[in-house]
Amino acid sequence: MINDYLLSIILFAPFAGATVLFFISNTQKDVVRGIAAFFSGLSLLASLYLFYTFDVSQGGFQFISRTVWSQTLGISFYLGVDGIGTPMVLASALLMFCGVFVSWDIKDRLKEFYINLLVLGSATMGVYMSLDLFFLFFFYELSVIPMYLFLIMWGRHTKGYKDMKGHINLAGEEKRESVGFILNFNKNSKEYAAMKLTLYLSFGAVVALMGILLVYVKSGLNTFDLLEIGEKGNLSLGVKEIGFLLIFIGFAPIAAIFPFHSWSPVGYAAAPPAASMMHAGVLKKLGHFTIIRICFYLFPEATAEWMPLVAIICIFNIIYGGLVAFLQKDTKFVVGYSSVGHMGYIFLGMASLNTISLTGAVFFLFADAMAMGLLFALAGFIYYQAKTLDIPSLGGLVHKMPFVTACFVVGGAASFGLPGGMNFVGEIMVFMGAWEIYPIQTIIAALAVVITWAYYFRMTRTMFFGKLNPALPDVKDARSWYERLPLVLLVFFTLFFGIFPGKFISVIEKGVTPILARFDSTAGSAIAQQTKLSTHIGDESIK
Amino acid sequence: MTPEIMTLADLNLRLIAPELWMTLLSCVVLMMDVFCPKLSKPKLAYFSVSGMALITLQLIGYGIDGTGGTSFSGMFVLDPLAIFFKIFILLSTIVMILASIEAMEKIPYFRGEYYFLLLFSALGMMFMVSANDFLSLFITLEFSTFGFYILVAYLRDNLKSNEAAIKFFILGALSAALIAYGVSLVYGEVGTLLFEEIAANPPEYTIGLTIGLLFIFVGIGYKLGAVPFHVWVPDVYQGAPTTVTAYLSVVPKAATFGIFLRVVFGTFLELKADWQWMIVSIAVLSMTYGNITAIAQKNMKRLLAYSGIAHIGTVLIGMAAGTQMGVESILFYILTYLFANIGAFVVVIIFQNLTDKDDIDDFVGLNRRSPLMAFAMLVFLLSLAGVPPLAGFIGKVYVVVAAVHQGLIFIVAVALINMVISFYYYLIVVKKIYSVEPKEYTPIHISTPLKIAIYVSIAGVLLLGIWPDPFIQASVTASSVFADLIPK
Repeated sequence: MINDYLLSIILFAPFAGATVLFFISNTQKDVVRGIAAFFSGLSLLASLYLFYTFDVSQGGFQFISRTVWSQTLGISFYLGVDGIGTPMVLASALLMFCGVFVSWDIKDRLKEFYINLLVLGSATMGVYMSLDLFFLFFFYELSVIPMYLFLIMWGRHTKGYKDMKGHINLAGEEKRESVGFILNFNKNSKEYAAMKLTLYLSFGAVVALMGILLVYVKSGLNTFDLLEIGEKGNLSLGVKEIGFLLIFIGFAPIAAIFPFHSWSPVGYAAAPPAASMMHAGVLKKLGHFTIIRICFYLFPEATAEWMPLVAIICIFNIIYGGLVAFLQKDTKFVVGYSSVGHMGYIFLGMASLNTISLTGAVFFLFADAMAMGLLFALAGFIYYQAKTLDIPSLGGLVHKMPFVTACFVVGGAASFGLPGGMNFVGEIMVFMGAWEIYPIQTIIAALAVVITWAYYFRMTRTMFFGKLNPALPDVKDARSWYERLPLVLLVFFTLFFGIFPGKFISVIEKGVTPILARFDSTAGSAIAQQTKLSTHIGDESIK
Repeated sequence: MTPEIMTLADLNLRLIAPELWMTLLSCVVLMMDVFCPKLSKPKLAYFSVSGMALITLQLIGYGIDGTGGTSFSGMFVLDPLAIFFKIFILLSTIVMILASIEAMEKIPYFRGEYYFLLLFSALGMMFMVSANDFLSLFITLEFSTFGFYILVAYLRDNLKSNEAAIKFFILGALSAALIAYGVSLVYGEVGTLLFEEIAANPPEYTIGLTIGLLFIFVGIGYKLGAVPFHVWVPDVYQGAPTTVTAYLSVVPKAATFGIFLRVVFGTFLELKADWQWMIVSIAVLSMTYGNITAIAQKNMKRLLAYSGIAHIGTVLIGMAAGTQMGVESILFYILTYLFANIGAFVVVIIFQNLTDKDDIDDFVGLNRRSPLMAFAMLVFLLSLAGVPPLAGFIGKVYVVVAAVHQGLIFIVAVALINMVISFYYYLIVVKKIYSVEPKEYTPIHISTPLKIAIYVSIAGVLLLGIWPDPFIQASVTASSVFADLIPK
């Protein structure tokens, strides 16, 4: 009984929370916080229940609920999760819940902040559970706008903004609104970051919408139902090619694929911590997810044809993202570019198109969500305390904030793939799967892990160890429960699933296998044999 | 053919009863204004609103029991399409009268005539959407515009208002002349003015007919403000009183679409090859020009004017599709546009009542001064931009789906790219409202009628976005009048 409504509860609890918040006054801060925490907590509990009741033996799409929304247009509100959607719903709910506590101390327009956060969170989860292409796009587009509001209302100006010259023209008008300003890539005001992010993602979205409409019309079924189109829609090879290109080009920018990545570090650096967590943690993964959901599912032939190119592009992500991260001086920029680098590993796993690497890629999606959530939450906390994230001017923070330092070390270590963290499991699986198909790329990617080590070590050393910079304001550790709770939760999930990934992998594998089975009928593709994945991989990773 | 003598019974007055009531109402309002000078003007407004609400109810009743037919020798038709548009016109007039009350109190003279003129124009448009031949098309187009000429010039001492009225009048007269000439050419070719007779005996292609059609299209293009016939739009929007601008930006355009649909689908569908390219090119030009020019605007009303031009282009996509679904999408899109655009203008009206300013830069920090207004503006602009879960998104998707079904890939691509361009300038306004700190922090007080107008618009935008099915069904019913004529 509850299973029929479970996804709706997860999806609509935050919306309900946002609606309730509308009617609360901003002066009652505790009530506002309580409501946000309650509704996001409800969503989190329900998604934990979802994760643990997902029937691994059965596989396929579960917890399906379907309501006809418009007969004329062939749209139904169709929810369901498979082994790929389930962990991502959990990650979204978790990061949204943590985001509520990370933003506990916001002074300006707290209510509006939480409304934004809840809408952002549920829109994200909506994409992960939509089986109707219209609603998939609906929620995707819905998730873009709150980020704009986050950035302009609660964001911070980043590097180069203060010494920005010439943003006042001769007539005394600010040029920040002009079109030229948008094309100016060095001046990072929050408005610039916001507009850049929104336009990048919206442009991607309309390209993807063209692809969706193409599929809708050419399938001739007058339905947006993904599964029905997949089963009955006789898409010709040409349609599949064009559809793949449109949807890949549309959704890959949000996954920060090179060269469409430049919005992401700028956006994350300018965003308030909760927004960075959500966006780097789960919204970015919408790109990979939708490509797997739509392209892999509907256009296996075209996917198999184009994936070798993706395997080359992703190396640029890994190397370029890593090297740029190494040169950054701002903590959030380092983390942001490292996130760009990590996206490359996921694309490599997707490009290999076999069970082990694709499972690894999806596992990596969740792992990276935890790591990015943790690191951005910490960066936000440090900024709140020290009023700066400039790495050289920080230093010796361990003397003042040991708890934060410990969490940062765990997050950083997890992020660069130290065994014990989740990322390691994902990375090793991606490499194992990719080795047979793209040996050269795998070698480069594996070597590039060193870059990740290098910048994380350097950043951690400079920020936390050595002598305390006397110029810093009086920084305090995370002491109160609401400051510690999100950190503890994220550290716990990173370590727990890093050490016991068995359940996780079996869930994901159930989602991955049927998708890869669609490639089997395709001749002449770069698909490897179905490597039967045994649970001992999980055990190996511990060693 | 023996001449028929028309009796009163033949006229079937029941069909035009709403119009008759409306005539009576507007006359009563005018007389009350003249003979009861002590009557406060807001009371006059509430009287008009309640009268129109009753007429709306009557029309809803007609819609439910399926009253319909033709009258006046076929010149006047009442069918689901006409009822749809009439309800639309009446409801938006009600909202606009409510939104005007406060602004009108600030005008030193002729406060009462304002309501009369608004009602009178609404009456003209009600006749317009029922026009069933070229003669009544011409008469009703002029009838409805007549009131607007005066309304645009309503701020008598304001130079911009006068300039706007003169531009509006000259171009309106020009377009009327073009339509009249086009109609005479069409009549010369087909020998009848009735839409139904033309549709029943599809005319052969002749050069005269195409040119006549072209003239009619150009004339209607002027009324719609589509590129390249748009030049009057920004100046008139900026110069006219904001309440009139709000009305002008939605209702006459919708009504013109009502008659345009009849001309295109009810009459000349057979000549689709001839008119489709005209509409496609007008649509592409309108969308692209409107959106790109809107980026450079510094005045809120001009921004909305240019965005309105772009929206007209988007609606024309549905017309270019030339199918039943295209008509449905047009009707639905107009509904979504009504709520979002009137809502946005209501916010501008409130702001102008207080400060008498309407530049975009005057709106900075609105969020600090009135969270409700800022939120309303956010919702309306995002709906205009086409962001889910708001009405505009569904409208855009509907139009685009209708066009894709007909293989009009190019125009769909243009429309979607334009959607991104429009994001830019709408979001700039959002940024100024939410991000920039205001120059002064005094809270803005909103009077009750204006609050109602805002809440109604927000509710409409959200309802159409989240649960559009009833409205889609209404559009399907209304467009069923063309069911025999056009492909599904």
